[in-house]
Amino acid sequence: MADTGAIEAGLRSGAQWLVAALEAEDVDTIFGYPGGAIMPVYDALVDSRLRHILVRHEQAAALAADGYARASGRIGVCLATSGPGATNLLTGIANAYLDSVPLLAITGQVASGLMGTDAFQEVDIFGMSLPVVKHSFIVRRAEDVAAVVHEACAIARSGRPGPVLIDLPKDVAQSRAPARPVQHDAIPAPVKPAAAALAAAGMLLARSARPLLYIGGGVGIARAEMALRDFVSCTGMPSVCTLKALGAVNAASPYNLGMLGMHGSPAANHAVQSCDLLIVVGARFDDRATGKLDTFAPGARVIHIDVDAAEIGKLRSVDIGLAGALPWILAELAQPLQIEPWRVHCAALHDLYRSRYDAPGTDIYAPALLRDLSLAAGERAIVSCDVGQHQMWVAQHWQIEAIHAHLTSGGLGAMGYGVPAALGAQLAQPQACVICVTGDGSIMMNIQELATLRRYAIPVKIVLLDNACLGMVRQWQELFFAERYSEVDLSDNPDFVALARAFGLEAFGIERREQVPDAIRRLLETPGPVLCHVRIDPRANVWPLVPPGKSNGEMMDTAA
Amino acid sequence: MIHRLEVTLQDAEGAMLRVLGTAERRGFRVRALHAVVGADALCRMELTLEGSRDAELLGRQLARLHEVRTATVRVAP
Repeated sequence: MADTGAIEAGLRSGAQWLVAALEAEDVDTIFGYPGGAIMPVYDALVDSRLRHILVRHEQAAALAADGYARASGRIGVCLATSGPGATNLLTGIANAYLDSVPLLAITGQVASGLMGTDAFQEVDIFGMSLPVVKHSFIVRRAEDVAAVVHEACAIARSGRPGPVLIDLPKDVAQSRAPARPVQHDAIPAPVKPAAAALAAAGMLLARSARPLLYIGGGVGIARAEMALRDFVSCTGMPSVCTLKALGAVNAASPYNLGMLGMHGSPAANHAVQSCDLLIVVGARFDDRATGKLDTFAPGARVIHIDVDAAEIGKLRSVDIGLAGALPWILAELAQPLQIEPWRVHCAALHDLYRSRYDAPGTDIYAPALLRDLSLAAGERAIVSCDVGQHQMWVAQHWQIEAIHAHLTSGGLGAMGYGVPAALGAQLAQPQACVICVTGDGSIMMNIQELATLRRYAIPVKIVLLDNACLGMVRQWQELFFAERYSEVDLSDNPDFVALARAFGLEAFGIERREQVPDAIRRLLETPGPVLCHVRIDPRANVWPLVPPGKSNGEMMDTAA
Repeated sequence: MIHRLEVTLQDAEGAMLRVLGTAERRGFRVRALHAVVGADALCRMELTLEGSRDAELLGRQLARLHEVRTATVRVAP
């Protein structure tokens, strides 16, 4: 409880310092779930202007904070108690780590004297989370709490962002102390690459006949979209994007060849295989993007630009590595190029492999539905995906206009991401039209968050593509495991429309193609949270596909 | 292949664990370890590692840890 006299004397509890420090960091929203060891912090929240969103599972707190951070560019904050509360955060923390999202995870801990005694709800979350955090702290003294919060936020946001964990023992949260003066450890500014390396890169670029940009999510993280578009405009270079970079360049440009990799566009993969220079910007040669690495871009020299020097040369040796701030480096490298034959070739690839939406039959064709919905939703749309076939259909067919309008669990591939990330994004961007595209497998991983949508009247539009199975696993079993289907059948799914209504959401279902236009209208015109259940063919697969372990040049485009 | 790394880091809770964990997760086995915390609150670690991956890359991965001040790869004796 607040002790006015102590506060006037400059003394506050560790929990009060924590809340005050979050407010000072301009945090306005936190996602969490209370419990024993974190109760002092929940008590301090009563007197705070922080908006706390009570989720129904701690994993969703971390994923909602992730969605909030991606949609806003601000730090996302989640809060949980010790033991199971802390372990439930881990998937969300790992998600933020693999996608470089600025996240602050605060966990209660048993009292200091009980740590290491296997106390009730004690786990070593500091130790358990070491592989998936950018940094972490156990706060040992109440007077250190505010300084640790400020340092944690600075670390989470700086350079290559990532999750930072603060573990707060209950006695530290409860004891009163004056604040230690905050001493900001200088976060080093990104280094600038050597002038000689920049000059060499410029020469390589000028001499290239077939240069290609390979754009990664780092462009969005660095808020370098404008610099990138200026670079593209100056050089005229064609480009390909990773899953996380979709939206980085003008979606309608014939020189934007779309996503590369396993479910990438043939135009993107063919261009990569035939380019003579690859300029990699904020990407990391992920295996889903490169396919068989030693056959990836076989004729290309490589210039790799990244704020994280440890990414350069990690998987593919480079001719020139440029570690530093992306906007500055792109501006330094920009130069008009004489590459018209290559541009004509890439535009022809773009045209040749344009997606078609005239699938035969009367079943709902998910790619066409997603395309039409994205066009109808327009520039206000933010799409939050779950993980699976629908995630790849969104990547292939959604008209993504900006990186931050596409939230997807890229590195971790965490089913259950879609709904919590969407609610976090909607709270960060109240004017946006936030649409969650999910599947019948994924939504059940965090179905309880429909209650959170209802409680706070968060107007997320959910499109549930239901193929009555774990579609991506089923597709791989069909193609690579001799059709030996193992534990992928979900034909006994609940009645999702009734389920959503039980949570208090408006909900409706469609199963025929002619119902799609009205469904899109209804989704977009419903003021509150709404779920549209879409029955699709269980046999539908995601095409094209580069088989695992194969070169990106060996795409399959049908099972035959 | 044997590599020797010298790492200087701030003496903070968990800092040594972070260094050792990073080395192991990135594909190296720790064969020998010597660590001393000096009066300057800096810890100096000398690691002998075995692994087929690029030790220079490991050095950069260690250098990005918040407490690490320097990470230097030495030629194995």
